[in-house]
Amino acid sequence: MKRQMSIENEIIDKLKEALREKVLEASSPRFRRVFVKIKNDALREAVAFLTDKLGVKHISTITGIDSGEEIELIYHFALQGAISISLRTIIPKNSLTIPSIVDLVPGAILYEREVHDMLGVIFEGHPDLSRLILPEDWPEGLYPLRKEYSPEELRKMVAESGGEA
Amino acid sequence: MGYGSIVRVPFGPQHPALKEPEHFTFEVEGDIIVDVKPRLGYNHRGIEKAMEVRTYIQNIYLAERICGICSDAHTTCYCQAIEELLGVEAPPRANYIRVIIAELERIHSHLLWVGIAAHEIGFDTLFMHIWRDRETVMDILEFVSGNRVHYAMNTIGGVRRDIPSDMAPKIRKGLNFLEKRIKELIKTVQVDPTIRERTVNVGILKPKDAVELCDVGPTLRASGIKNDVRRDDPYAAYGEVPFNVITNDGCDVYARIIVRCQEMLESINMIRYALDNLPSGMTRVRVPMVVPAGEVVSRVEAPRGELIHYAKSNGTSKPERYKVRSPTLANIPALCKMLLGQHVADIPIVLAGIDPCFACMDRIAIINSKTQEKKTISFEELRRYAQKWRKIH
Repeated sequence: MKRQMSIENEIIDKLKEALREKVLEASSPRFRRVFVKIKNDALREAVAFLTDKLGVKHISTITGIDSGEEIELIYHFALQGAISISLRTIIPKNSLTIPSIVDLVPGAILYEREVHDMLGVIFEGHPDLSRLILPEDWPEGLYPLRKEYSPEELRKMVAESGGEA
Repeated sequence: MGYGSIVRVPFGPQHPALKEPEHFTFEVEGDIIVDVKPRLGYNHRGIEKAMEVRTYIQNIYLAERICGICSDAHTTCYCQAIEELLGVEAPPRANYIRVIIAELERIHSHLLWVGIAAHEIGFDTLFMHIWRDRETVMDILEFVSGNRVHYAMNTIGGVRRDIPSDMAPKIRKGLNFLEKRIKELIKTVQVDPTIRERTVNVGILKPKDAVELCDVGPTLRASGIKNDVRRDDPYAAYGEVPFNVITNDGCDVYARIIVRCQEMLESINMIRYALDNLPSGMTRVRVPMVVPAGEVVSRVEAPRGELIHYAKSNGTSKPERYKVRSPTLANIPALCKMLLGQHVADIPIVLAGIDPCFACMDRIAIINSKTQEKKTISFEELRRYAQKWRKIH
């Protein structure tokens, strides 16, 4: 376990070395888990570093979290299928855009569309951000995973707009 | 090729057995697929949102109902995530029981799939034989947990039911029967010309594409990539139970059948090992209702591949955010790739090849892009068309 712990710390050290002040926080709460928080303008740089220098090929998913004034995006990568590297970045709600990483990691194509549907984040450069999950009659601009509305309120809003919920 | 006009074929969408029901728009030129566009979410139930307004205990049951086939994979992933947030560990006996249930689930899921694959290529005799044999593993699951589908074995802090030693002989007897049948099944698959004809070199997924498109599970392993969360990121008792990660270099639907069949034999041996080495002691520890603030990434190898849950807690009895990504979603980009260049007749078997839950996909509309003329055919008709087409080509 000790030996593995050092691999996680090595990943953190390398990321800090490459991105310097753009790494805001980094920790490894347990073996095979790494959490790194980066500035949102460094996302593509960080992902390119993971794929080119560390050999990360696999993205497991992208989690979007509404934390009030901001949207938190967590990109969950896996190194050699074993070490889960969660790259976190925060974007303000008044400018919900972030560059797409689909050209760097093609497997992210559906995960970005999912976050776009559920939270309204715009991934610049994504080939097709059309609806993936929400129904056609879902009201425009209503993002179900935002915290502003409870499931009941959502149901009411969708029904009022003529959709089915 | 050379028909000159591209016709769009919408495919789906009713597909309620999974978290990701699917709809595909195929662009076909003549009989060859040139583009595939997925459209998901027809049965999106908003479980992630629903989990935010329920307690951690209620969410065990919600997680169980994400999927009707790999229900145990979801609760294992959920419970170990919350356990990690709480800083508790399930007792060793519970971890072994989790392995036993997970592997029984894998056998039932893979048998279900091989049966459906046989059905898709028109081999209904084999389908019925497999599903008859599958009843054995369903009986074992019911015998152990009281339920055929939602076993409700997992809870935060361990498992809800023990597997006492007097249960072992009956489980072993069932496993011996299954082992015999699965070996027979592998032999059938290897020699039967119908199966080979319909699956060899069909739905090719090259290793490079599989890795690039972040494919998971048996589909990835059938493209020769050795990747398995049970081995790479061991959870429950997987670090202690010996097993082989099955791979195959075939990269086609045939390889996917072989990989799943051989995985079932591995699962049988794993269950035997776990029964032989079941540690004594408690099956669960009591845990508090309130979970301290924190976040955790939890991963499990579900029958269809890597399952990942992310949980963020805020110090209350309800999660702040709970994210679920089940393996079928990860397999869809690879599936779209596999379908390119295939015949329309091979859509059912290639689609079935990644093992999406197929039960209710029953409606297909064929639209001529020039005249917008719409003709709706059922999945059953397409299957029959596929078999007829195969006979003359």
